[in-house]
Amino acid sequence: MLDPKPGSKIAEARDFGIDLTMLAENLRFTPAERIKRNDQAVNSMLKFQEAVRRAKAGSKAKSQ
Amino acid sequence: MIDLFEIASRFSQAEVKFVIVGGIAIRGHGGNYVTEDLDVCYSRTNENLKRIASVLTPLNPRPRNFPENLPYVFDWTTLQQGTNFTFETSMGDVDLLGEVKGVGSYDDLVPRSLLIDFDGYSAYLLSIPALITAKRAAGRPKDEAGLKVLEALLEASE
Repeated sequence: MLDPKPGSKIAEARDFGIDLTMLAENLRFTPAERIKRNDQAVNSMLKFQEAVRRAKAGSKAKSQ
Repeated sequence: MIDLFEIASRFSQAEVKFVIVGGIAIRGHGGNYVTEDLDVCYSRTNENLKRIASVLTPLNPRPRNFPENLPYVFDWTTLQQGTNFTFETSMGDVDLLGEVKGVGSYDDLVPRSLLIDFDGYSAYLLSIPALITAKRAAGRPKDEAGLKVLEALLEASE
């Protein structure tokens, strides 16, 4: 996966910008584990978005 | 908190006839796709609609972007009124699809799916070749990266 043959679909994906290290990492897990990891990633992103939203709201309040 | 795994697991426990498609299916095959909704293609029998409703009702489903101030009644007969539904629930967004473009309905999808273990239960995950067919049939620019991932995963599995 990490050292694809030239002209292969894997090489094409890498050249497109797909992070092959993440694919290789995901392939270590079972399908159920991969789906759970998606949920964890989404929840982390939502927490991050909420933190950014609060920070923006705080800086807006300070400037008023 | 989003818990799409739990929703799919509850579908399995309730013996809902469904196939996981879309971003979660790509993820299930090893893709690095991160998605906020669970897309499933489901059997349209009345028995199955009742099972789906029994799972979703406790999660307070409402159509996405439906005005918050308007009441919405959900039960299994709601699912008789259409084919494709996009719900938001207390555990995350769920899209119910009566058919997947390029692949077909639930009965067409099952032979082109893998049965995966869901912590003691089982669920169908649309196969990589069928996901590629569906993505190509959809022809959406946003699917281009997903297609590259699927083609790479298919090659890696050969």
